[in-house]
Amino acid sequence: MTKHPDHISAEKFVEELRRYQKGSVSRRHFLAVTGLGLATAVLSSAVPGLRPRKAYAGLTGTLNVTTWPNYFSQENYDNFTKRTGVPINVNVFGSNEEMLAKLQAGSTGWDVLVPTNYTISTYKKLDLIEPLDLKLFPSYDPSQQDPRFLGPGTIDGVVYAVPKDWGTTGFIVNTKSTKENPVTWKDFFAATQGPLSGKVTVHDYQLTTIGSAAVSLGYDFNTVDKAQLAEVEKLLIATKPHLFGITSDYQPAMRNGDAIMAMCWTNDASQLNRDIPEMSYRLGKDGGEIWVDHYAVIKGAPNRDAAYAFLDYILTPEINAKEIESHGTPSTDARVIKLLPDSITKNPILYPAQESLSKLEFGAAETLTNPDRAELMARFKSA
Amino acid sequence: MNASMTETQRPKLVTALLLLPAGLFFVFLLLVPLVVVLVFSFGERAPAGGYLPAFTLQNYMDLPARGKAFFNTLTLAPLGTLLTALFAFPMAYFLAVKTSPRWRVALLILVMAPFWTSQLLRYYSWMIILGNKGLPSLLALVGLTDVRIINTPVAVLIGAVYGYLPLMVPPIYVSLEKLDKRLLEASADLGATPARTFLQVTLPLALPGVATGSMLVFILLMGDYILPQFLGGGKVFFIGNALVDLFLQSRNWPFGAAVSVALVIIMFVTIYFYMRFVLSKTDTRRAALV
Amino acid sequence: MLRAYAICVYIFLYLPITLIVFFSFNAGKYAMSWEGFSIYWYGKAFSNPLIMGALRTSVIIALSTAILSAIIGTLTALGLERTRGWLRITFDALIYIAIMVPGIVIGISTLIAFVSFFDLINPSLAGLGIKLQMGTWAVIAAHVLFNIAVVALLVRARLQGMDRSLVDASEDLYATPMGTFRQVVLPLLAPSILAGFLLAFTFSFEDFIIAYFVSGPDTTLPIYIFSSIRRGVTPEINAVGSVVLLTSFVLLIVAQAVLRRGEKTASP
Repeated sequence: MTKHPDHISAEKFVEELRRYQKGSVSRRHFLAVTGLGLATAVLSSAVPGLRPRKAYAGLTGTLNVTTWPNYFSQENYDNFTKRTGVPINVNVFGSNEEMLAKLQAGSTGWDVLVPTNYTISTYKKLDLIEPLDLKLFPSYDPSQQDPRFLGPGTIDGVVYAVPKDWGTTGFIVNTKSTKENPVTWKDFFAATQGPLSGKVTVHDYQLTTIGSAAVSLGYDFNTVDKAQLAEVEKLLIATKPHLFGITSDYQPAMRNGDAIMAMCWTNDASQLNRDIPEMSYRLGKDGGEIWVDHYAVIKGAPNRDAAYAFLDYILTPEINAKEIESHGTPSTDARVIKLLPDSITKNPILYPAQESLSKLEFGAAETLTNPDRAELMARFKSA
Repeated sequence: MNASMTETQRPKLVTALLLLPAGLFFVFLLLVPLVVVLVFSFGERAPAGGYLPAFTLQNYMDLPARGKAFFNTLTLAPLGTLLTALFAFPMAYFLAVKTSPRWRVALLILVMAPFWTSQLLRYYSWMIILGNKGLPSLLALVGLTDVRIINTPVAVLIGAVYGYLPLMVPPIYVSLEKLDKRLLEASADLGATPARTFLQVTLPLALPGVATGSMLVFILLMGDYILPQFLGGGKVFFIGNALVDLFLQSRNWPFGAAVSVALVIIMFVTIYFYMRFVLSKTDTRRAALV
Repeated sequence: MLRAYAICVYIFLYLPITLIVFFSFNAGKYAMSWEGFSIYWYGKAFSNPLIMGALRTSVIIALSTAILSAIIGTLTALGLERTRGWLRITFDALIYIAIMVPGIVIGISTLIAFVSFFDLINPSLAGLGIKLQMGTWAVIAAHVLFNIAVVALLVRARLQGMDRSLVDASEDLYATPMGTFRQVVLPLLAPSILAGFLLAFTFSFEDFIIAYFVSGPDTTLPIYIFSSIRRGVTPEINAVGSVVLLTSFVLLIVAQAVLRRGEKTASP
């Protein structure tokens, strides 16, 4: 917690106390600045009875949170509202591109955003998110985060986003319906054009669909090379007649048997596998994506105070653990992992063997804005 | 009222005031935005997406990259309209000629009602019906295995007939309702076969209604997004889907603007020739739009 | 034979709707696999603040649209009755353009025109602490545009079918123009205005594509349903859908009844 003031002068303390008494600063600001917040936080985590008595006084209005489908615990959000009186309005999106498009199209009334690793630098460049004031959400502890996932949120030493949870992009196979045993992305596309024709879905998302197709051809997941992309396009267009659909919502198709294999994210995989054990999730042995989603605060957020209160609330280990349990996505926070049951921490879909992750890549910022990839995806869809 | 105002100025002022609000809406929400779209269509995509002022015809030259979407829309929209008209006609005929006047209106409302209820949920329902556990599993019972309907042009056409039948029936019904039954009797008395009576008496009378209904359905199908999205599953792509993609995914506003301009031009040209054709056939000026 | 065909058509039209309503009473978690009867999801839906918020937004949008379109559309129809020549031709053309331009293009053009305008003006408003952005009001504006055209056409059809002699009689009796309007014209137009109001309300309430482009951070019910469908529907959505279906039915029947009654009184 190095970002907190370690000490505060007596004068400063009194001055802050006065400001707090006059009501010109919120209680949270007061506690944070004086370091009393830290003291309370330490105390409260040590003394269970004190725990939920965090101060969220003085908050008003609603909080607009923009996230992905099935990616939050309604119970947690309801409790936030109970505690603060601030109702949360959740907007869900299908892809990062869509989220960015909506922001560029003037949807600047949001407060909290859940961007994926590779998009954060672009949001910063476009001046759409603000540098986070870590003092305002003391429940976040960078020293407890898996260092693998701390890179993307910090730009030039400034923290713009903090990790929410992480995961992978592989594919899921309903082993009850097929004897095929694809283990690489190369197998995935071969099976699609062969025995599983008409029974496969890919994401409606440039990063994973183009990226995985590139991997199957032996290219980099993040390639923006025109010649390589041309080959990717050829592969995708040749595959298209064999697809059941292009969709990021493949759970219904997998559940009712329309699809036997689908490009798939960790959380969908754990949810499908929980209900249908024959659903087997694989990470491409030839590569694929590893991702980490973040919380960020929109620049000029209409309810900035509530946004920070929300971050402080949701990143509290006990609450964050409930979050992880509800949607089945691996956590980046060591304190949270300690609180999770074995059914989650020992689940190979959520926490795969280290060596299977070694070939996976994070999405690259360039793919988000690269016009060739965007146009390739659009042409593939309209082909 | 201003005392100096003459008797002739006042009515003009009233007229102007009556038309002013609509005029403002038409200028600021229709004409100006359409002009902006036209201007954007000559621009360039900004590096992170959006619009960069420029003057280039590149976006129009790139239109063939959405050739398949234009092709799908320009084949499936007219085909869907035609099928809807074919299925709607007997229904309208039944309602106008064969039902008792007591129940007529109620039965007509029953046909129209679905159109005004959540389109999204109704197509979602069709996703389930046409999906693997729905119709195909019933077909499998009678020996037709491995039939796939969802995410094919057939599914989109079923959805088109389903979605727009409620809009097509009423106008046809209205023109058939005017049909004088004595005309049919006279035709029969003169020895005409029922088929001949239908072709020479009933059909010409129904034509204005068919024309109006078809126009409405055609306009809606040409700009449809939900129908191909839900029942085409990203495999049967319409111009509407291409537009949503360009604005809400790949953020290529200028190209999206060019596609919009192309769509609007195609619509206007098609409707113009269609109207001329219909007017020449019905030689009546009554084939109004609504 | 025709009767059998008609029955088939009704089944075709109502099967999907029946399924939606049927599964709203599902006890299970997934929208389309039956696990027993329950009204649990109705309670759940009506205590879900997101659904209720979306519903409220949609009702606000639809009501505002209906009121504004009914007023402006009627004024337009009245104005056009008094006009000849280029002005009338221009307005006729605009009305038809508003109806013929696909909704998706209306959404797109409104979006890019407004966003560009905001980009121009927001820097100079920043000093005042004002920031313009897309939202509910933009959805209302775009919906009103289309519905003005619809109401104007409806009211005008009625005006043309109206018995001129009533107006003449009123004028002969030395009623002021305003008095004639209030006591003679308005009551005659009322059914078509009300029908236009209800049509505008349903159109606006059902619209997805325009709102999808211009609603900014606000969520309407169709947008909420759309994103729910993308992530897999629970019977909660079916429950809301069923309630909305019922309401739409009632509105439609009222609209039809009103329009029919109007036709009867209008025809000589």
